[in-house]
Amino acid sequence: MAVNTKAIKRRIKSVGNTKKITKAMEMVAAAKMRKAVESALNTRTYATLAWDLLVKLSKQQKTKLPLLEVRQVKKLLIVLITSNRGLCGSFNANIIRKTAEQLNNPINIGRQRAKNGHLEPVKDLAIDVIGVGKKGADFARKMKYNLIASFSEFSDTPKLNDIRPISKMVLEEYEKKNYDKVIVAYTDFKSAITQTAKLRQVLPISEVDLEKMLRDLGEHGDDTANITVAEPKLEIDEYLFEPNAQTVLSIILPKLVETQIYQATLESAASEHSARMMAMRNASDAASDMIKELNLNFNKARQAAITQEIAEIAGGAAALG
Amino acid sequence: MNNTIYFKIATPEKVVYEKDVFQVSLPTTSGEITVLPNHIPLVSVLQTGEMKLKDAEGEHLIAVSGGFVEVRGKNEVVVLANSAEMENEIDLERAETARLAAIEQMKIAKSTENVDFAKLQAIVDREMNRLRVGRKYRKLQPMKDS
Repeated sequence: MAVNTKAIKRRIKSVGNTKKITKAMEMVAAAKMRKAVESALNTRTYATLAWDLLVKLSKQQKTKLPLLEVRQVKKLLIVLITSNRGLCGSFNANIIRKTAEQLNNPINIGRQRAKNGHLEPVKDLAIDVIGVGKKGADFARKMKYNLIASFSEFSDTPKLNDIRPISKMVLEEYEKKNYDKVIVAYTDFKSAITQTAKLRQVLPISEVDLEKMLRDLGEHGDDTANITVAEPKLEIDEYLFEPNAQTVLSIILPKLVETQIYQATLESAASEHSARMMAMRNASDAASDMIKELNLNFNKARQAAITQEIAEIAGGAAALG
Repeated sequence: MNNTIYFKIATPEKVVYEKDVFQVSLPTTSGEITVLPNHIPLVSVLQTGEMKLKDAEGEHLIAVSGGFVEVRGKNEVVVLANSAEMENEIDLERAETARLAAIEQMKIAKSTENVDFAKLQAIVDREMNRLRVGRKYRKLQPMKDS
């Protein structure tokens, strides 16, 4: 019996140690989440204002800029934003599943929203992937998608400079007409408990997708919830452009794309940390339950040992008497 | 008649400043402009330089590098900057180190590629600008420990 109690005791200790680790990881994730959420919220103002300006500009003149041009899709680029590390529940699994679902249905994903209905993609649509975070890159490699680049050197709260290489690459490739549509797959942070995997078109710049993205941002609660893509209060003709509208547009559009990708990265970072926090909390709770049960078993075993000992002594005494 | 402008400057990373001001001077690509209340609506592109604000507390400088400004109808000015820093937030030492590092890299890059060179030149300009704004601020209000 003594051996049994000893084994249980060892097990309690080991589960206790695991619990300590998961608890610590939970706290770390919570702190990182707070930071990530804050920076995601901070970016929102810029994104809204930039979008606002774009709406006004596009109303004034229908300029032919490559970034606004809707082409038939022959080649599609998807930017898959995942985490570098695991132990974050179903965070990576969700976004990867969602992406895989969409990739299996290329006709749907390649359809372009055009002014008069839809523009169907070509039959043999090619898909390339940019992996942000190791997990996404691994997935693309395993599924034999053409992985053209992989970025995994981000900190927990990425700075704009960190994602600049991605946006630059995306913009350049799009302008060279190597791709006809660019989609970003990210995890939208709704709250600490809910995160949703989402796919959004970033290029060509589409009003529908931008509006959707801004609306998603609004769902995070707090005072900024009532974001409206404001109608310009003034007739656009009254705006003065320096040097001219074309120049302003050609600067603002890439910025907007960059902001959108940046926002997606921040949302994903916030989601990752909250997913990890929840996973670790669950693990800590499970460890607590396990310790409780093991303690019960331990006490039972201890008592059984004592009872047996007493029975043996009593038995011995009776035999002597 | 309203004599203040609602001014807001945002970068992709945060909102740098948001307040009612009397006037604001901005470095645009076609020269410095000053916006006073009741300005007509305007959209312009910014270049690296310093932005001057006047409000109830006095004058403020903000170092900006690139972006746009939108002057809206109802006495509203919105600046979307690539990067912006309030005068009192500038870390002079870091700016100096960054500038020297960029100059150093420029020497190497000179022989290689034009694109890199232009990018480094932009960094040098930006850091110079930060230094300039930061120094001006220090002179107005010398730091106690220096």
